[in-house]
Amino acid sequence: MSRFRPPVWFVLLLPAIIILAAVVLIPLILSFYSSFTPYKLTRPDTLYKWIGTFNYEKAIKSTHFWAAFGRTVLLLTIALNLEMLMGLGLALLVNKVTYGQRALRTIMMFPMMFSPVLVGFQFKFIFNDNVGLVNNALQSLGLTDKAIPWLVDGQLAFIAILTAEMWSATSVFAILILAGLFAVPRDPIEAAKVDGCTPWQSFRHITLPYIMPFIYIALAIRSLDVARAYDIVQIMTNGGPARRTELLWTLIGRTGYIDAKMGYANAMGYISIFLAIFFTVYFFRKLNAARSELGMAG
Amino acid sequence: MAQVHLRDVVKKYGAIQVVHGIDLEIQDNEFVVLVGPSGCGKSTTLRMIAGLEDISGGEITIGDRVVNDLPPRHRNISMVFQNYALYPHMTVRENLGFSLKIAKRPQDEIDRAVDEAAGILSLAEYLDRKPGELSGGQRQRVAMGRAIVRHPEVFLFDEPLSNLDAKLRTQMRTEIKKLHQKVKSTIVYVTHDQVEAMTLADRIVIMRDGHIEQVGTPLDVFESPANTFVATFIGSPPMNLLRGRITGDTISLTDGPLISLPPQFASNVADGQDVILGFRADNLMPVGHAMPMEGAYAEFKMTVNLSEPLGTETLLFGALAGKEVQAKMLNPRPLQNGEQLQFQLDLTRCHLFDAQTEQSLR
Amino acid sequence: MNENLQHRIRKYLLKALHFVALFIAMAIICVPGLWVVLNSFRPTVEIMAKPPVWIPNELNLDNYRAMFGAVGEGGVPVLQYFTNSLIVSVTSTLIAILVGMAGGYAFARYSFKGKAGIFIGLMLTRAVPGVSLSLPLFIVMAKTGLIDTHLGLILVYVALNVPFTIWLIDGFFRQVPIDLAEAAEIDGCTRWQAFWKVEFPVARAGVASAGIFAFLTSWNEYALASQLTRSTFSKTMPVGLRDFTSEFTINWGGMCALAVLMIIPALILTFIVQKHLIAGLTFGGVKG
Ligand SMILES: Nc1ncnc2c1ncn2[C@@H]1O[C@H](COP(=O)(O)OP(=O)(O)O)[C@@H](O)[C@H]1O
Ligand SMILES: [Mg+2]
Repeated sequence: MSRFRPPVWFVLLLPAIIILAAVVLIPLILSFYSSFTPYKLTRPDTLYKWIGTFNYEKAIKSTHFWAAFGRTVLLLTIALNLEMLMGLGLALLVNKVTYGQRALRTIMMFPMMFSPVLVGFQFKFIFNDNVGLVNNALQSLGLTDKAIPWLVDGQLAFIAILTAEMWSATSVFAILILAGLFAVPRDPIEAAKVDGCTPWQSFRHITLPYIMPFIYIALAIRSLDVARAYDIVQIMTNGGPARRTELLWTLIGRTGYIDAKMGYANAMGYISIFLAIFFTVYFFRKLNAARSELGMAG
Repeated sequence: MAQVHLRDVVKKYGAIQVVHGIDLEIQDNEFVVLVGPSGCGKSTTLRMIAGLEDISGGEITIGDRVVNDLPPRHRNISMVFQNYALYPHMTVRENLGFSLKIAKRPQDEIDRAVDEAAGILSLAEYLDRKPGELSGGQRQRVAMGRAIVRHPEVFLFDEPLSNLDAKLRTQMRTEIKKLHQKVKSTIVYVTHDQVEAMTLADRIVIMRDGHIEQVGTPLDVFESPANTFVATFIGSPPMNLLRGRITGDTISLTDGPLISLPPQFASNVADGQDVILGFRADNLMPVGHAMPMEGAYAEFKMTVNLSEPLGTETLLFGALAGKEVQAKMLNPRPLQNGEQLQFQLDLTRCHLFDAQTEQSLR
Repeated sequence: MNENLQHRIRKYLLKALHFVALFIAMAIICVPGLWVVLNSFRPTVEIMAKPPVWIPNELNLDNYRAMFGAVGEGGVPVLQYFTNSLIVSVTSTLIAILVGMAGGYAFARYSFKGKAGIFIGLMLTRAVPGVSLSLPLFIVMAKTGLIDTHLGLILVYVALNVPFTIWLIDGFFRQVPIDLAEAAEIDGCTRWQAFWKVEFPVARAGVASAGIFAFLTSWNEYALASQLTRSTFSKTMPVGLRDFTSEFTINWGGMCALAVLMIIPALILTFIVQKHLIAGLTFGGVKG
């Protein structure tokens, strides 16, 4: 009589698998199913009516959807790139400091401690056209006497949201890239200096390849996490006014909770999931390429 | 022309001074080795020459140029690091050609220089590998190759062999020596290994605690060490040092025999002066087991506690004046531990240092 | 000498530039945050004043007094929210760390079929945006009665944090040489003892950094909490912030006071594990 004993790795992984299945997988299956129904929160019986890919077709034909989709991709692309560049700059600045670096690092992490919803409120107020910090400052400095409609104009609102998002997330990049800079061995950098490199050349040829994996890790983590922007946008403009700052997430949220069209919202939700997965997988592949470049794949 | 001159060079880290005003003149094409125990400031000195560390005081010139504030790229030097410092993401070929690529030389010139360096260091078959796929010795050769492709005026080596195993180290030592004869340029080489220093150097610079203790040819520093530190640091086994006091024309060793004062020091000492007598194991031999000594010698009995056969000679450990003393004998013969023998000390090869200053009394 | 002078001047210029750039960057990082802190000590009327009052006339603790008063200003039960946040964040972080350690250890130390697939699968669960997840979760939780409870939110946060925790900790355990555990086992430890006595202490920095990320995520999460909590007894502070808004006005002073209350624990915690954080990311990050 031999009793079945599951392998150790399986036992160790089981809690993670169970909890992810319960909290993520089952709801996703449910939402996948409901995306083929005209499910409305207010009318539970609609859950059992099969309408095939109607919701998806509706989303694909909707100009609102595509506008939000385009805006989301645009925001993601611009935000991730700018955050990466600014985070890199910040990390390089802090890395050069020899005295009081510990304090600077702590300050650098300051925005990470702010809940995105708080960031939303903060910047909603900072960009308020009437009493906001930005307009007050501009007016007090005499740069303008108008009340610039930061959160009302579509393009200005995009900039305001981008600013808030960058303020909140740049430090994530900075801290990860700083960790990368700490891991760069000193020797090859010095060898490069002796080999005739200017500071820019040693950064370009030596430091950058070393920290590339960290940059991709940061990008991957951020793209996993990018729906944080939802909180910010929801507070600052909630997609408005008149859908001028509508992103996929605000569109989904409104369709699901305000209009109660769960089926349709879930269909759009799936499209946003694929968008997120696409970004994540893309950065993970880049990460592995950068790692094997440095001969530390594994 | 690439002499390197250091004038009163000082290095401080904050309040801590680690190099205390070094003066050194290195000639064109000279092979100079900085040697000293670890932590004595050799690397710091080398890195100041390279421009990797700022100098806190003094002046460094390479060729005719003062280079105090110049970044490394303007100094026309190349450096081989202890941990190779290869670029892990580049192939051997790219590693070798990197400095020329940065200098925007034409590709065919780079190829030629890389092939030449690869030829000198027998790296031709590894050119397309990355450093991660090479053995320690091969990496070391790539590091050297990277230094020679540029034809710099000065080569700087910082303990390049200390990560290699003993056999490889000897082999690479010979290669470096050959390299110097081939490429003809000034070399400043740092090591803590006195054997390496003795075999490679045209001139040796012995450092301790940020000071230069002695500069001289290998033979110089071996034959006439300037102080007890150099005396014990150079040569293996280290020189025996025994305390004593001058009484008339003898040295009375503390708790030991009277030994007549070596004639070459007679005019340099005063009666009653406290001194340290130094002699190497090769100059203390048991009667009948060595060449008979010519000139002045002292003779006394000593108990041999331990013997280590080294092949053609045997190292003997005895006790004299309350201290352990090493001696040698040429004709091997079985020895009992604790056996007492009659020893002869060659006085012409002895050294005498002042007990206070520890400087040579020659 | 001229050449040297030129380089020395350039070095000083660069140093000055570095200092200025650093100062500007730090100012941009600090100002919005410090502004919140400052406003928490000012009456809302003054914050909203037009023309603006740049130099505060009076600083007082009114907002805090109101916040900690019986029910708080405008009836916002801040202390209750604080307690809810604390319970949910601490519990979910601890569980996520335990689950993540088990999982990370499995990935770091055992090889099995489909390892890469399972790993990617776990990671991708994190790629699901909060809103997309909150709709179906809302339905499931409503059906199982977990909605509006601490337990429901804790479960969600554990699931949210486990993938990243596994990833970080996995990278970290890989840095701990396997000989270390083997040596301990030869010395007579059981595998279990070897883990706690040898491998865990070495990987502690990684666990600490995973922990702080998990805590910050739970502490600050809004999208899911705003749908899954309804009543005072389960609302967390990020959701509670909304209580200070009504349709047309915001009690900005009160909100800033709550914001400060939210930031302080995060700040303290981050400061404590700050040292481990960088080390954790360095090891866990690159060689994963
Ligand atoms: N960056 C630094 N900060 C403070 N002290 C240092 C630094 N680098 C080296 N030192 C000190 O300077 C002394 C000389 O170091 P080094 O030149 O590396 O010695 P070595 O002769 O072994 O190469 C040592 O005591 C070392 O502790
Ligand atoms: Mg050294």
